[in-house]
Amino acid sequence: MGKKLIEFRNVSFRYGDEQPWVLKNCSFDIYEKEWLAIIGHNGSGKSTIAKLMNGLLFPQEGEIIIDGQQVNEESIWSIRKDVGMVFQNPDNQFVGTTVQDDVAFGMENRGIPREEMITRISETLSAVGMQDYLLTEPHRLSGGQKQRVAIASVLAISPQVLILDEATAMLDPKGRTEIMQTVNNVQEKNELSLITITHDLQEVVQADRVIVMNDGEIWDEAIPRDIFSKKDDLREIGLDVPFVAILADELKANGISITKEPLNHEELLEDLWTLHLKT
Amino acid sequence: MDITFKNVSYIYQRNTPFAHKAVDDLSFHIPSGSFVAIIGHTGSGKSTLIQHLNGLAIPSEGEVTIGDFYLTNDKKPKNMKELRSRVGVVFQYPEHQLFEETVEKDIAFGPENFGVSKDEINKRIKDLIPAVGLSEALLERSPFDLSGGQMRRVAIAGVLAVKPEVLVLDEPTAGLDPRGQKEMMEMFYTLHKEQGLTTILVTHSMEDAVKYADHVIILNQGTKYMEGKPEEVFIQKEALHKVQLDVPEMVQFLNLFENKFGKSIPFERQSIKEIAQSIQHIVKGAEKP
Repeated sequence: MGKKLIEFRNVSFRYGDEQPWVLKNCSFDIYEKEWLAIIGHNGSGKSTIAKLMNGLLFPQEGEIIIDGQQVNEESIWSIRKDVGMVFQNPDNQFVGTTVQDDVAFGMENRGIPREEMITRISETLSAVGMQDYLLTEPHRLSGGQKQRVAIASVLAISPQVLILDEATAMLDPKGRTEIMQTVNNVQEKNELSLITITHDLQEVVQADRVIVMNDGEIWDEAIPRDIFSKKDDLREIGLDVPFVAILADELKANGISITKEPLNHEELLEDLWTLHLKT
Repeated sequence: MDITFKNVSYIYQRNTPFAHKAVDDLSFHIPSGSFVAIIGHTGSGKSTLIQHLNGLAIPSEGEVTIGDFYLTNDKKPKNMKELRSRVGVVFQYPEHQLFEETVEKDIAFGPENFGVSKDEINKRIKDLIPAVGLSEALLERSPFDLSGGQMRRVAIAGVLAVKPEVLVLDEPTAGLDPRGQKEMMEMFYTLHKEQGLTTILVTHSMEDAVKYADHVIILNQGTKYMEGKPEEVFIQKEALHKVQLDVPEMVQFLNLFENKFGKSIPFERQSIKEIAQSIQHIVKGAEKP
């Protein structure tokens, strides 16, 4: 694993003095260039973590360090250059009157030269398949198209960390796959850390590591294969398990020995084939 | 109520430079009591289609028939209000439409506007609260103090309180966690069966369509691309790929299985358990490859 980029040290958060704690004493690290997925039921504290990472919220207890800097009122402006975030509902994220203005907005705030801006606008909009909509007004776009533009706007700032807070939830499956491919390409090229907050299991199995949240606490932190081997426990806290994992269990119940917890179709088929040859 | 679209087109901002045909010569028939899934990638015209179902959109061309209601460009029904009391639409993120001081008032708002008596409303609320998975203790609370999932249930209760015969659901589980999604779909399915509703589900989830729908309509660029039973439509991988859609994960797996083992397990909307048994027969089969 690379260098630590984000550290949460004993972080607790609640929205008001009388309110229940949304995060309870959470500690974890996020490393450079890794893809971390955060999963958990609604209200488990996932989105609060994201908002704490770029100073939209501040913890009552504990501290958050990003790239060596503690997140506080003074540091948020420099931290927000490094932490790009895309939320679930694209309608709440538009400022520009045209698509290209919207992508330009973040860059203008960071004083990026015009020539560079033009290059990045066309690069990032092509990356998300929206290059034909430069002059379109955002409200004329469909939900999925808006989300692509929102992602392009964040990518244009070339942050060190990209946080997607259920950013693909409103897209169709194909759109979802395409956006994730785009995001992964950019992550590799720009050597970003990627944090995805998601219910999409296809996204989770591809991540390097997974943090499972439950009732404001870190319930587990492991590689996807280890996480999905705990099927019953996951169901208990309101989460789902991938199709191949369920099928593997049913196969075991039918007396077929599965050697390793499969994460995708190919792995399971490989296992079955080996077994078939031996039969 | 039977629903029929006959050569329906809908043009946004007609006669302006922004004119855009969102629905194009669309025809289909939904018999009363069916559970229909409408699927299509973003921008395929799904949302425009469902706006026709309660007269929020009037076809620019063609005709829409819903029960006895008849919508064409030159003939709006006079009794639009009645149509809207018989077709309930749960829009995307319906919790954004909550506005009342208490959960109870919010649920009562719809039926009050349709002239339902106070007693009847109270009775309906009493029945609905458990049906949508809420507790009576929440009735006096502000809807804005509830969790996202609870807020959505309140909004849905508001639609159901009007007692529609047709229930239109536009991606009703978006943004919920997996358990919430499952509970919500099971709830709609139970209501569908118990109250004999005609249910129209707009969804991106092939899995939900396979599980609940008895008929599937695939839209592409505002027009009908495919139509049929889920087990017929969802095995047509190439055709679905052409319109940015994919087959359900189970079908993907069965295809890969066939490629590897040279034997096919036909997709019949069977359970994972049944698939495991079929696989077991082949893998442990007598003959060697």
